[in-house]
Amino acid sequence: MNIDYSQELPVVEGRLTLREINDLIARPMDERPNKKYFIALSFTLSLLFIGAISVALTLYYGIGMWGNNQPVGWAFDIVNFVFWVGIGHAGTLISAILFLLRQKWRTGIARFAEAMTIFAVMCAAIFPILHTGRMWVAVVYLLPYPNQHSLWVNFSSPLIWDVFAVSTYFAVSLVFWYVGLIPDFATLRDTTASKIKKVIYSIFSLGWRHSHRNWQHYEKSYMLLAGFATPLVLSVHTIVSFDFAVSILPGWHTTIFPPYFVAGAIFSGFAMVVTVLIFVRKIFDLENIITINHLEKMNKVILATGMMVGYAYAMEFFIAWYSGNPIEQFVFINRAFGPYAWAYWIMVSCNVIFPQFFWIKKIRRSIPIMLMIVIFVNIGMWFERFVITVTSLHRDFLPSSWGYYTPTLVDFGVLIGSFGLFFTLVLLFTKTLPVVSISEVKAVAEGAQPSHNGGDH
Amino acid sequence: MSQSNLNYIKKDLPTSLQKIGFLLIGIGVIGGAGAFLLNAEQAAFNYLLGFMFLMSIGVGALFLISLEYVAGADWSTPLRRVIEFTASITPFLIILAIPILLNMHTLFHWSHTEVVESDKILKEKAPYLNQTFFFIRVAIVFALWTLFYFLLTRNSRKQDISKDQNLTRVNIRLSAVFIPLFAITASIASIDWMMSLEPHWFSTIFGVYFFSGSVLSALAVITYATVKLREGGYLHPRMVKDHYYSLGSLLFVFVNFWGYIAFSQYMLIWYANLPEETFWFLARWQGSWIYISLALIFVHFIVPYSILLSQPAKMDAKKLKFASLWILFAHLLDLYWLILPTFKGESTLLNFVLGLSFPVAAVGGIILLFYFNSKKTNMVPVGDPKLERGLNFRL
Amino acid sequence: MEQNKKVFGIAALYDSPNAIIKAAKTVTDKGYKNFDVHSPYPVHGMDKAMKLPPSKLGFVTLAFGLSGAAIALLFMYWTMTIDYPMIIGGKPFFSLPAFIPVTFELTVLLATLSTVIGMVTFFFYFPNNSHPIHDTNYMKSVSIDKFGLCIEADDEKFNEEEINKLFTDLGAIKIEKIFFPDKLNVKILEPKFIGLLLIVAAFVSVSTYLHLNKVLYLVPFNWMMDQGRLDVQSSSELFGDKFGMRNPVKGTVARGFMPYEYQGVNEPTSPLSNPYLPTKENLSLGEKKYNSFCSPCHGNLGDGDSRLRGQFPLPPSLHSSKSRDWLDGNLYHVIVNGQNVMPSYSSQLSREERWAIVNYIRVLQRAKNASEADIQEIKKEPVTNVSE
Repeated sequence: MNIDYSQELPVVEGRLTLREINDLIARPMDERPNKKYFIALSFTLSLLFIGAISVALTLYYGIGMWGNNQPVGWAFDIVNFVFWVGIGHAGTLISAILFLLRQKWRTGIARFAEAMTIFAVMCAAIFPILHTGRMWVAVVYLLPYPNQHSLWVNFSSPLIWDVFAVSTYFAVSLVFWYVGLIPDFATLRDTTASKIKKVIYSIFSLGWRHSHRNWQHYEKSYMLLAGFATPLVLSVHTIVSFDFAVSILPGWHTTIFPPYFVAGAIFSGFAMVVTVLIFVRKIFDLENIITINHLEKMNKVILATGMMVGYAYAMEFFIAWYSGNPIEQFVFINRAFGPYAWAYWIMVSCNVIFPQFFWIKKIRRSIPIMLMIVIFVNIGMWFERFVITVTSLHRDFLPSSWGYYTPTLVDFGVLIGSFGLFFTLVLLFTKTLPVVSISEVKAVAEGAQPSHNGGDH
Repeated sequence: MSQSNLNYIKKDLPTSLQKIGFLLIGIGVIGGAGAFLLNAEQAAFNYLLGFMFLMSIGVGALFLISLEYVAGADWSTPLRRVIEFTASITPFLIILAIPILLNMHTLFHWSHTEVVESDKILKEKAPYLNQTFFFIRVAIVFALWTLFYFLLTRNSRKQDISKDQNLTRVNIRLSAVFIPLFAITASIASIDWMMSLEPHWFSTIFGVYFFSGSVLSALAVITYATVKLREGGYLHPRMVKDHYYSLGSLLFVFVNFWGYIAFSQYMLIWYANLPEETFWFLARWQGSWIYISLALIFVHFIVPYSILLSQPAKMDAKKLKFASLWILFAHLLDLYWLILPTFKGESTLLNFVLGLSFPVAAVGGIILLFYFNSKKTNMVPVGDPKLERGLNFRL
Repeated sequence: MEQNKKVFGIAALYDSPNAIIKAAKTVTDKGYKNFDVHSPYPVHGMDKAMKLPPSKLGFVTLAFGLSGAAIALLFMYWTMTIDYPMIIGGKPFFSLPAFIPVTFELTVLLATLSTVIGMVTFFFYFPNNSHPIHDTNYMKSVSIDKFGLCIEADDEKFNEEEINKLFTDLGAIKIEKIFFPDKLNVKILEPKFIGLLLIVAAFVSVSTYLHLNKVLYLVPFNWMMDQGRLDVQSSSELFGDKFGMRNPVKGTVARGFMPYEYQGVNEPTSPLSNPYLPTKENLSLGEKKYNSFCSPCHGNLGDGDSRLRGQFPLPPSLHSSKSRDWLDGNLYHVIVNGQNVMPSYSSQLSREERWAIVNYIRVLQRAKNASEADIQEIKKEPVTNVSE
């Protein structure tokens, strides 16, 4: 297929009119969910139920129900936390960074990706809060609150930075998402036939009138939010990487961690977004709005970030040797050839080798192969965090305290539950809110902008 | 419809530019020779500084060319020739490296075999840090850069006449291959030329740090040249503030990126406080170096950040010119801060002033490259299929 | 009945973005002030067509962002260096690099929240669901795919006919007159509403009470203490004597502990030899320890002149020929083992300190009983005292 480089690819395919776009996106909210939807929902709810039981066990018996014990004091909890926070990065990346880069193709997927961010951060928050033990008093030692003992949280601790970073990230993502939704709520309010829905939409639309005097500030605020969300998204995973990297543990303490974690987060986040979008565009007939070109572009990003992650793996290995520090060298040899070698090689093959297939254009545009690869990437990125956390801990400086970490059933239960929560929320979202931004897609449709906009100004 | 109304008329750069270029190079060569005569050791370090300055700009620009192709960006197409001119430094690097290779023993502690013999850690590193392998790496890295420079620009120039869209396709493929190679070669180059000056020190982020400075300085050169050339009427008249804005934003982004990488590196080493890492920063915190370290935060991050923060500033020709010159100075300061602390000898004011002649020669060289390149080729890639889209680019 | 209502404005619908830009330009040029354009998405170039000044929202962001940074830094400075200073990781109390992450996060949080809240409340005057334009056919069209322009009645130049004509000339597809809605009669004191408030209040109070007074003081579950390892003094089935705690293997020597083989022996015949040379450091250590532990009874110079004024029996002089002829090992033995009423000092003094005291006693003995040769030596070269 030859591309004509002198023409821009249309973002919305099929030459839809504005009204058609409107109806297409708003339709899932007006139709009664079908049987398939309920089958899917019951599946995710059962996963969630497994998670709920595991959380209940953890709360009742304490976190002794988990497999982590000396020397591996951090395991599934931090692995899952970092995994979910990483997934959450794609959303803000798509909505903020691609917005600043003026990539118009983002409009089709931004809303969905942002929603996934919010859900993913909710899933991520489960783990550290559970790990505090008595989570109902967690607020006392996670947030600085005035007290008569003058006892404050330790602002030099990366774990407290995490609290600030993740909660800020959640708040800002939510606000960003909501700001994007306001005009859509207004449109739904004006199109819906149901009275109850109309009341709900009216409340959430805040009385939006599509007035240009408002659009002007609105666009400015969107730009400002994007400008803030971009460094924020970088900072969150940077701070997550600080959890490890400020320590002196070989395998954790290495200076490349911040950019490496951010690249990994984008990598895993895009993989998850592609995974979900493949189904969503099919089920809701959004193939003209979330086109194969969108998916191809995302696959290119996955390829690029996958190689960045590969670069970091290689760099870590090289510098471990180059440092001349025998302990550093041991940790990396142990990682690749020690008892957890299986995890390491799963990680390398899923994250570095499989994405290389995306060099081939046919594969980038083939839905089944793409789906397979992005699922591998999801698995690989989970294992990356597992490898970093567990292999560095399980053989520490004293050979007498070496051990082997095995997760318990409860560990798996909470992990499964987090997936259940995530997909349940995703399913509910698809039926209650427009999965694609109505106003943004309209704005990039063909002929949506005045033609005499050229010339110097 | 697009090519017909392309009212670009090629205009030669004034010959005064040639004079300025040769004058600066002349000053640089004389000053440099003086520096070598006066204090060969310090001059070697200063030469390395000038060399790294050119290298980072050249390879940064080469990366930006391939990034444009891979990302399918159109706004930068009208000014791609400026980027190509900046990247034309790369073929000269291998020649410019010769004085450094001649002064290896002065610069690189690890190149003395007797030192390596008595140093346990250096002995372990010897399979990487030895002269033969170093020369091989230098040859491969520069050969690769030169090769890709010629391939990419040749296709781009051919397209001026043939207007063949296939050449764009070829260049996209070349760029996709080049970018991973660039990541590897730039990291190797940064480790070889700068990190190994202190052979005991190591930092995994160093390659990324070099990359951030390199792209930032390349962007600064490109921004300055674009604004200047556009004002002189050498570029296409339909290049407007929106294009400036993109350049300004990229500068702003990379200023932030550099700050982020620099902070990450410092923060992690400071927090963990391991003696095998901290000594590198301690050396830059002793004596008068502390002022340079502190100045770097302001010069390289806070000042350009404040200049470029507001939206109008990113479109303002004057502010952009100032910011890009400022950033080039900051990059020079950054390289000075990276390289010179390894030089442990006595220095005088005269030595310092003479050391400046290397960057002066580098600037002269860049000016001359622009002059001679502009004689050979169009200043706008007139045959590029994306040109029309690029010229129509509005925010 | 429409005639009774107050007119809000006249609105026209247009079909294409080009038409609305043209309309907005014309209306602005004609000098209308109170009008607004409504479109389903922001139309590029409209700011210029309507001659809107640039949005001032950025200043709100800047102000709140900077105050977020200042608040975070000052707060961390106050808690970490003034209110409860604590050394963490050997870093200074105010360690800026460690405070940058939180400062950054608070900057972003305040900046973004203030931007959005400021925009919605102060720039839009939202929420406002009772605006006359809501629920009109006009609104329903601009919500989906039409572009509308509405000139309000309170504009100075408002004139129905003129505006109608203007709109038609500009190619309007539909013109609509918009009225203010009837005043709604909303009762605040409706029983249902008050009931809802009461329920919410009761729920919030009860849950707050329970949380603060019960949940916070729950006894933590302690099953985690049951682990698969032996606790101190618990029994074990593994060994015949059922003791969980085991004696160390015979001949085990604790770290830093040197067994003394003459413990309890009276005057050993072949005692240990002195492993320490009387260096300057060793002697000054000996002097210090002698003055602390020995001098109260033996006297500052070892003459046996106790400072205890008879509260403890006087010890013999250290300058007796017996003690002068003793080997170093015998003196050491007395310090470790004790002798007569003198207790053992092995718990107070380390091995090195004991030998240092022995060396120092030798110095005292030689000084008190200096030979002629020693005096000649001192006269020859004025050597400074070892204990300077």
